[in-house]
Amino acid sequence: MSRTSKGSMHKSSTIWGLHIALAVWLLFSLAPPIMLLAASMNETALFRSPWDLLMLRDFSLNNFTVAFSEGDFWFFFQNSLIISVSAVVITLIVCVPLSYGLNKISPRQKAIVSFGVLAMRFVPYVVLALPLFLLFVQLGLSGSRVGLLLAHLAIHIPFATWMLVGFFEGVPKELEEAAIVDGCNPWRLFWNISLPVVRSGITALAILVFIMSWNEYLFALFLAGSDAQPLTIGITRFLGGAEVGAQYGVIAAYSVLIIAPVILFALVANRYIVSGMTAGAVKG
Amino acid sequence: MFGNQHRFTRGWWFIAPGLTLMTLIVCVPLAMGFRFSLHDVFLYDFRNQFFVGLENYRWAFRDPLYIASLKTTAIFTAGCMIISVGLGLILAFLLSSKLVRFRSTWIALFLIPFVMTPVVGGIAWRLFIWQQEFGLINQFTALFGLGQPYWLLDSETALLATIISNSWHLTPLAILVFYAALTTIPEDLYEAARMDGATPVQTMWHVILPQLGPHILFVSIIIITSAFREFDMIMALTGGGPGRSTSVLSIFAYTRGISNQDMGMANTVAFTMFLIMATFAWVYITLYRKLEAKT
Repeated sequence: MSRTSKGSMHKSSTIWGLHIALAVWLLFSLAPPIMLLAASMNETALFRSPWDLLMLRDFSLNNFTVAFSEGDFWFFFQNSLIISVSAVVITLIVCVPLSYGLNKISPRQKAIVSFGVLAMRFVPYVVLALPLFLLFVQLGLSGSRVGLLLAHLAIHIPFATWMLVGFFEGVPKELEEAAIVDGCNPWRLFWNISLPVVRSGITALAILVFIMSWNEYLFALFLAGSDAQPLTIGITRFLGGAEVGAQYGVIAAYSVLIIAPVILFALVANRYIVSGMTAGAVKG
Repeated sequence: MFGNQHRFTRGWWFIAPGLTLMTLIVCVPLAMGFRFSLHDVFLYDFRNQFFVGLENYRWAFRDPLYIASLKTTAIFTAGCMIISVGLGLILAFLLSSKLVRFRSTWIALFLIPFVMTPVVGGIAWRLFIWQQEFGLINQFTALFGLGQPYWLLDSETALLATIISNSWHLTPLAILVFYAALTTIPEDLYEAARMDGATPVQTMWHVILPQLGPHILFVSIIIITSAFREFDMIMALTGGGPGRSTSVLSIFAYTRGISNQDMGMANTVAFTMFLIMATFAWVYITLYRKLEAKT
């Protein structure tokens, strides 16, 4: 056997090995969402073996009908959507200028403020949720979307600032200096010169903040009362007792509806999500 | 020019509104939480609050349930960190190989557990993976004649199961950060190692791993902060049970505050969580600066 063909055989087995290893991980990763999808599309009375579910032995979309009708889906959906979209908008309005400005003060001042922002990222959610619960009861904000939104912002703003500062650091100094020499005022320097450069970073941030708000459960449990409950609370209605028996198909259908938008984001906008997740890590 | 630019661009005008809002919505609850932790506060009798000083903290540290919860949290956090960082490194190495096809598709699909709503993830694991009779895991254990443990319903195995489920959620973060870091390592480094006759495993261990130092630290700390405060996933999987076997500090604080209506103690527990995280943050920042100075 010639040397080259031996080499290429070795190479092709490496390729196979690599892809099989990745596929094993992928199967493990996707098992829970796939099982949800399969279970949501089967008529259910009792627990079924996963193979029956996957083969769609008792195909039916009835679970979705029940999720919509008995699960008050649109009520929870509305709350989730309003809170998530407002969280994105407000976070952007607050954090884009904030993180731009951080690159425009002296390095020492920047280090101090950045330290504060980073420190706030370490605060566990429950530490904020308990006092906010008591505060909102006193202020009459409990069970309002505004209160829940404020709690979300307490998480988003430190996260977003920390992430965006890195993106603004990437704006070329020469570009800004040239604009200043050309007589650009401070506002236009921000809006017309720096902002366009970080546009994709801002998109990444918007997507991540939306996902974080959409997925949030702890604050909702403490602060949503009965009027501002998002989907993550809505689904727990079906979860009674240790095992849920007959309702599990409906829970699966409800779950599929909840995760559909975030999974769509992962599939369509993964480039942005990845750039956001790795921001601040890779420069270091 | 530099000094002038700072004055010209009015950095603080851009910073002030956001910084004020952030400080308000983070520090006001934090300060209130600390105040509550120094008082006897009960939900059913909210108006009668007694100042008790550090008495709540003394109670907490003498409470075996608090100590048990602290231990559970430590095991949970360490377990998630070890599994996620370990798997993340291995998968990132595999993914970064030049032989991998359709890389962007792999990455997009690997992301799914990370973006999937943790409560829903927890429900899916509980109903379809860990379920004793029909869950996927036990289908396989039965296949190999390993018996069918009760997993989430058995206090011996529940914590392990929650750790695995949560690592499933966190590993994508580790994979992606390590993968991004690996793409920044210059080609010549691999070449040089290959020229010296190093096997892929040797190259990994002696050449690439040291380069990843700061990234491993970064990922570890993100995963530690996330796992330490985890609530959603555990609540959906076990609700803290069976018994108290998966009752981490977040859940302990919740049950103390909402179920037992003892808000003074709940805030005390939460505030100790904050202190532990603050220590972690401090260690992280010191280590990071040292590593940065080295490279």
